[in-house]
Amino acid sequence: MKRKDKNLEKNISRLVKLTGDSNEPSEAFSKSLINDALSELAKSGKGRQRERRHKFTKIRWPRILAYAASILIVCGIVIALTMPPQKLGELGRSAEKMALKQGVYREEIAGKPVAVLEPPKPPVSRLEKAKVAKFTYGSKLVAGSRITNAMAAEAPSTPSKSRFSGEKARRLGSCGKPEPGPGGYPMAHGGTTPPNGEAFDGVFFKNYGVNPFVDTEDDHLSTFATDVDTGSYTIVRRFLHDGHLPPEKAVRVEEFVNYFKYDYPTPQEDVFRVYAEAAPWKFGTGRKNSYLLRLGLKAMQISEENRKPAVLTFVIDVSGSMNRENRLGLVKKALRMLVEKLREDDRIGIAVYGSRGRKVMGHRRLDEKDEILATIESLHAGGSTYAEEGIRIGYEMAESAYRKGYINRVILCSDGVANVGRTGADAILEVISKKAEKGVTLSAIGFGMGNYNDVLMERLGDKGNGHYTYIDTIVEAKRIFEDNLTGTLQVVARDVKVQVDFNPAVVRSYRLIGYENRDVPDEKFRDDKYDGGEVGAGHSVTALYELKLWPGKAGTAATTYVRYKDADTRAVTEFKSSIATDGFMPLAEKEIDTGFESASSFDFRLATVAAEFAEVLRKSYWAKGAKLSDTLRRAQTLLHERPGDADIIEFVDLISKASQLMKKTDVELSRTEDNANER
Amino acid sequence: MADKLEQQSWAEIARGDADIWREFISREIPQLYGMFMRRWPNPSLAEELVQKTVFDAVRGCGSYDPSRGSPDEWIFGIARNNIRLEMRRRASRPSVDGDISRYLEAIDSEPLPDEVLEQKETAVVVRRALSRLESKEQVVLKTKYVEGLSARDIAQRIGITEKAVHSLLYRARISLRRQLKRMAPLDKQGQKL
Repeated sequence: MKRKDKNLEKNISRLVKLTGDSNEPSEAFSKSLINDALSELAKSGKGRQRERRHKFTKIRWPRILAYAASILIVCGIVIALTMPPQKLGELGRSAEKMALKQGVYREEIAGKPVAVLEPPKPPVSRLEKAKVAKFTYGSKLVAGSRITNAMAAEAPSTPSKSRFSGEKARRLGSCGKPEPGPGGYPMAHGGTTPPNGEAFDGVFFKNYGVNPFVDTEDDHLSTFATDVDTGSYTIVRRFLHDGHLPPEKAVRVEEFVNYFKYDYPTPQEDVFRVYAEAAPWKFGTGRKNSYLLRLGLKAMQISEENRKPAVLTFVIDVSGSMNRENRLGLVKKALRMLVEKLREDDRIGIAVYGSRGRKVMGHRRLDEKDEILATIESLHAGGSTYAEEGIRIGYEMAESAYRKGYINRVILCSDGVANVGRTGADAILEVISKKAEKGVTLSAIGFGMGNYNDVLMERLGDKGNGHYTYIDTIVEAKRIFEDNLTGTLQVVARDVKVQVDFNPAVVRSYRLIGYENRDVPDEKFRDDKYDGGEVGAGHSVTALYELKLWPGKAGTAATTYVRYKDADTRAVTEFKSSIATDGFMPLAEKEIDTGFESASSFDFRLATVAAEFAEVLRKSYWAKGAKLSDTLRRAQTLLHERPGDADIIEFVDLISKASQLMKKTDVELSRTEDNANER
Repeated sequence: MADKLEQQSWAEIARGDADIWREFISREIPQLYGMFMRRWPNPSLAEELVQKTVFDAVRGCGSYDPSRGSPDEWIFGIARNNIRLEMRRRASRPSVDGDISRYLEAIDSEPLPDEVLEQKETAVVVRRALSRLESKEQVVLKTKYVEGLSARDIAQRIGITEKAVHSLLYRARISLRRQLKRMAPLDKQGQKL
């Protein structure tokens, strides 16, 4: 309640201020700032004096100082005797200055504990400025790699302190400046710093770091859980269409790569098949002898008639925010589309939550289609967000309607769960993963953007053994509910984990591109309690590895192990396939580009361009020097080969949008620097 | 300009002399304010950046070195640094799309993004909403937030008690919120805690 008032007061204050015409600060503001500043000055001045007295009384160094002074004087005389008279004058002046500055110097030292903040820079030359900028960039990288290491040591889904601090470290790194701590700047009248010092992003993303290169001799195993989500790509698309570069942490490379359809032959007898392909490649500049390995995992197809009947329970967020941008309208459209596509033996139930959660419609068979459509139409938004209750009611409904041999799924449609109730996110996540074991799974579908909570939605889908998608347009809804309904609903394998065992005799080091938040500790690969990814019928999973090979070595480069549980029987299967490297040829740096184009398939190139785009957008260290103009050129080549492919047309458009936005940001930054220098 | 700030007193800046500092910052505040407003036309943000810059300067006054330039150049260096930090902060953050109504709709639950305040239409909407309030409410909001007077000063100026000013302000804020919501075209119940 209190917080609400504060928000209102602050916002009103900021809004009303806009109506003032003058381009000058208000008198009251100047006055109070001057007073505040002077009292701060007095405070730090006292600190300085105390410090100075301290120095003088405690340390009896005058004698040492006297010695030093006399040595200086002697040196001075010697120099004076050996120097031409003109320079001597200059020296005399600077010595005078030095003497004057002695007091100043002492203050500088004493003042330090008070001046916690970055010491203000006196005017510096351009050259020095460049150095400063470089330095901050460097420290950012250090911070970034630290997160990755911390991440690697942790289980992927538990939130932990170190991850938080890692994120903080990164933020500090990227700013190059510590944020004002407690007791920092006093609030301006209606200032923009919120009380807790956090930047008030309305949208929540999490940074999972970037996988580094790993020496095969140190660790020859790379293990990860599969991910068929595509949410990150659609979210980034939304950002770019709105004319903004996405935040780095909204970019998950694997979801970019997996957004596109690849032409892997569908396995006829087995649940999965693994496909591998490799070619010389490098991201960015400054690397030689590097290769790209594409691993494709393709799940068996199930025809629409053979799909198991489904019991679907929709839990729909109808809180006030769902009114924005007509989010609820999009949800309704998507649901209508789904209802048209479902079969008569499927069932649908609907629960909603706003200020309270409630059951809107018990489960009905799809032969009562009209009633279902009417219920969907009647939904309207308003109130706050009591997601916890909504989800609980949804699960109760799903459990009482549970049918063996059916697909039992709760589908959450929300713009992110800002207020999950009293017990918090962890309690909900625990309930969800327990129910998932009993056979009721959860899919999270995201809508809207203004206050979108990507982190929670992704974790809900992950824990619920379902999946997570973000729907930004009706076209995306069609992709998920119409074109790929069977894959969306029917899972063919659970807890799918992939382990790649690299041969240290052939592969010097490797880097898994993406899958940072799907990391599985190597020793947990055969632990069947450890959560993996779920793969739907006909879905494919593509992973890219960057490799550095020992020169001149051929043979088995890697062996891939895939382990999964059957969706129905829970029987565990594991199979392996090896990847040989006879075809690899060491290439000079400038040959890599053309070598790649000729040595790889269309799909491989598409996956690579998608990964490169994501790497540049998330400013990956390993892609430094990569230019979006090259990415764009490669994507255009792909389009040229497959004119009319809607996904690729859009992809090219997105890359060119991003590249323009990046240019714009660069120009703006350098313009400010120039302005700064002119002054 | 000000005689006190001739070169010989530059050293006093570094030493933290209160009189010189008063002179110095009262001259710099409007300049800095103008500089920030030119970059981002948002008075609240400009105020905050001015404040941050002045405090950075005060706390780092010991590191000012008169031999390397005037205090004006020095404090403008700090200001430019703050502009850069602000730009970086913005770059890592999604900004608003054209529709401001959905932000105004939720003004009692979420802090407004700076970008909303920098759009021309926002000021237009607020002016229109303000003009629909009772005149007393208008006056109190403007004197408080545009002129930046304290409740006590407002009480003196319009001849009511300080307590009355507070409750008037409270009511005025609520009415303004109501007006703003009424002017937002969408349904107005949106509140996300």
